[in-house]
Amino acid sequence: MHLLTLLLLLVGFQGALAADAGPSAQTEQVELTLLAERPEFAPDRPLWLAFRFELAPGWHVYWRNPGDSGEAPRVSWTLPDGWKVGELHWPVPERIPVGPLVNYGYKGAVMLLAEAHPPDGVTGEATLQADVDWLVCRESCIPQKARLILRLAAGSTAALTDRDPRFEATRARWPVALPGQAGYRTAGDLIQLAVRQTGWTPPPGTSVWFAADRWGPVAASQPQRWHMHDGDLLVDLPAGDAPPTADDRLGGVLVVSEQHRGQTLTRGFVVDAGFTAGPPRPAADLPASTHLVLVLALAFAGGLLLNLMPCVLPVLSIKAMSLLTHGGGHAARHGLAYTGGVLLCFTALAGLLLMLRAGGSALGWGFQLQEPLIVVALMYLMLALALNLSGVFALGAGLTGIGQGLTERRGTGGSFATGILAVIVASPCTAPFMGSALGYALTRPAGEALLVFVALAVGFALPLLLLSLRPGWRRLLPAPGPWMERLRQLLAFPLYATAAWLLWVLSQQVGPAPLAAALAGALSLALGLWWIGQDWRQPLQRRLPALAMIVAAVVLAASASAPTTAHKAPDGDAWSPQRVASLRAAGRAVLVNFTAAWCITCKVNERVALSTPDVRDALADADVAYLKADWTRHDPLITTALQRHGRSGVPLYLLYPAVAGEPDILPQLLTEGLVLDALARIRGVNP
Amino acid sequence: MMIRTLSSVLLFCLSTAAAAAPKVGQPAPAFTGIDAKGAMHTLADYRGRNVVLEWTNHDCPFVRKHYGSGNMQALQRDAAAKDVVWLSVISSAPGKQGHVSAARADALSVERGASPSAVLLDESGAIGRLYAARTTPHMYLIDSAGTLVYMGGIDSVASANPADIGRAQPYVRDAMTQLLADETISPAVTRPYGCSVKY
Repeated sequence: MHLLTLLLLLVGFQGALAADAGPSAQTEQVELTLLAERPEFAPDRPLWLAFRFELAPGWHVYWRNPGDSGEAPRVSWTLPDGWKVGELHWPVPERIPVGPLVNYGYKGAVMLLAEAHPPDGVTGEATLQADVDWLVCRESCIPQKARLILRLAAGSTAALTDRDPRFEATRARWPVALPGQAGYRTAGDLIQLAVRQTGWTPPPGTSVWFAADRWGPVAASQPQRWHMHDGDLLVDLPAGDAPPTADDRLGGVLVVSEQHRGQTLTRGFVVDAGFTAGPPRPAADLPASTHLVLVLALAFAGGLLLNLMPCVLPVLSIKAMSLLTHGGGHAARHGLAYTGGVLLCFTALAGLLLMLRAGGSALGWGFQLQEPLIVVALMYLMLALALNLSGVFALGAGLTGIGQGLTERRGTGGSFATGILAVIVASPCTAPFMGSALGYALTRPAGEALLVFVALAVGFALPLLLLSLRPGWRRLLPAPGPWMERLRQLLAFPLYATAAWLLWVLSQQVGPAPLAAALAGALSLALGLWWIGQDWRQPLQRRLPALAMIVAAVVLAASASAPTTAHKAPDGDAWSPQRVASLRAAGRAVLVNFTAAWCITCKVNERVALSTPDVRDALADADVAYLKADWTRHDPLITTALQRHGRSGVPLYLLYPAVAGEPDILPQLLTEGLVLDALARIRGVNP
Repeated sequence: MMIRTLSSVLLFCLSTAAAAAPKVGQPAPAFTGIDAKGAMHTLADYRGRNVVLEWTNHDCPFVRKHYGSGNMQALQRDAAAKDVVWLSVISSAPGKQGHVSAARADALSVERGASPSAVLLDESGAIGRLYAARTTPHMYLIDSAGTLVYMGGIDSVASANPADIGRAQPYVRDAMTQLLADETISPAVTRPYGCSVKY
């Protein structure tokens, strides 16, 4: 009796639903409906069916691989004779964390499609019965089931407009074919998935993760890392309970999410990777810790080198003596105070730079080497500093006298002030070093930038600190002489080399004409700086022409980095509002594709939905013009157009009917079907 | 109480120190736990005997499938008869589903007719994390030398339907039989199914 009660309770707890004898069922958490894409089926033509789960907030159902726990929905069909129904098709899942565990599933609503194949020559009505078992969870889980019955009538091919649009929208959420070949390597607990020949350049903020299609190979809750290496996408995956061996293939979905100005677009790619021999490749593109150490070592060495400069070395020993005599014996304290002063000055400068950068990026500037303007600006900076070291012109020589009085003050405060002023006083020589550090730090993350300046400061202050601790080492200081000037001029050449490298980077980004403009600007800058460096009697004589030349250099730099307006795409002519208007006036519909080189979703859409032969044919048949608006360099005209349609970023697809009317806005995740439907609708409008 | 808190803290520290996930063929992670009667258990205590670890949560439908049908209790009796130590582990955090007091844990065992050697109360989740326990039920079998020989699901059909027990391959029962017969355990790693452990 006890057992019977228990069994009955169990059945009850399983949430078995009284069969409505209909296509939908409802529980407290889920509303499940069995739908057909068309109201009628034609014999011998496939018909798509869908299980639509609508979930209460906070509840989720699972993907085919549920992850660390949970169960995917299962369907068992009872069909009339001759009918066949295929497997369920799964949209791209999301990661749902449950404490330290991770599940793969869906929230809100999801439609799982399956293709039904009616047999030949069937007429009349067909009754399809699906027994569905699923697990729905929030914190706790409830296994539920339902019996759904769908009655379909045979009929002629329904008109296009009778198709349920939610089906095509769901197909847009399916993973698509991977652009490139996939293979995987293993080493211990690491599996590295490599996707070759992607042709991608993921922008900052892109997230990439891999969902294996079954339990075993990959641990769902451990972190994954990804990076690009030589055009290959590498994803480091933690091995699961049953890591793959050389005979196994690794299958699943690679989920790529792009962020741009607040919106997230997610696309999945089907992966079927075979085993590749060899060790996984380490992350090379990201600044690894060894790379940072090298940079800091260079900055430190630069700081040390500073002490050998003509404006620093002669006074170095004098400064040390003044510290000692004024300090009255507490040499170490004064040495440290001096070091503190130097550090403060350098970090304040770094802080100022970072604040400016943050302010600039709030204005929408991107201080990245992908921006040609930044590359040109850095190139000019390096050139100017190199010319300064070569002796072409002098920087801030008038500042040398400032602050003498402050350094003569007694006490620790005096030493501190000496430290600060040492930076400024030595500025004719520090400028090139500071400038280079500044240029480097501008493109790096804040922490790295600060560290570079700290390393420079430590290198600069170290000799004086050592001298204050061991006055006897004064004997080790090199004697000032002409060799200092030669060293200074020699040190100009690394800076010239940096300018040359930046020129090479620029050549990768722009065409020959902007490159020539940048070179002309560099020439103008050099001429202007030389002019400044000459001995003029009147200040105006020096300033005016130099200013003119420098302005010319800036103008040329700007033109070198201007976005190319008429970008001739392989297919699709350049967009402009006038072109759209004139094409429409001529009686043609217009399809506009707002895209950008760094937008992966845009590229995928183009590949799977816009460049396919069917779509090209449909465009030609309907005489629809195809225009591309390339937003790679943030063209303001395109920005305005995007905003007018309520968007802050790409992709955006507009289909304008001929002559007049509001454009049809296509979804951001495209499928071929969606585009063909839209074109057919336009044809319906244009007779 | 104080000892319990201190040991939880200690366990937590120990568990965070051990980073690697358990692997079949490697020594099973050493754990220390306190049972519903207040006694302390460590893996070392059972050197020389085979041990089964069963993660459980009495409210989880998948656990109820095996307890309601008597399947789990039968396995436990089997184990006891073969001198295999059976430790049920409750890793639910306080306030989460499955978390019980010591008294309630004992009462549940009596109600359900369960006969584990002990029920370990792991409310800090330390033992769970040590073993990377993800579901309830999640089963581990450790041999008398302290080596992990099986980890994964209790059987092969991942459902909450008791009717499926009869048609499923009983992984844990088979593993115990193979272990006691000195045969290689196969399959040694299977998919654990159930509700997530409520850390």
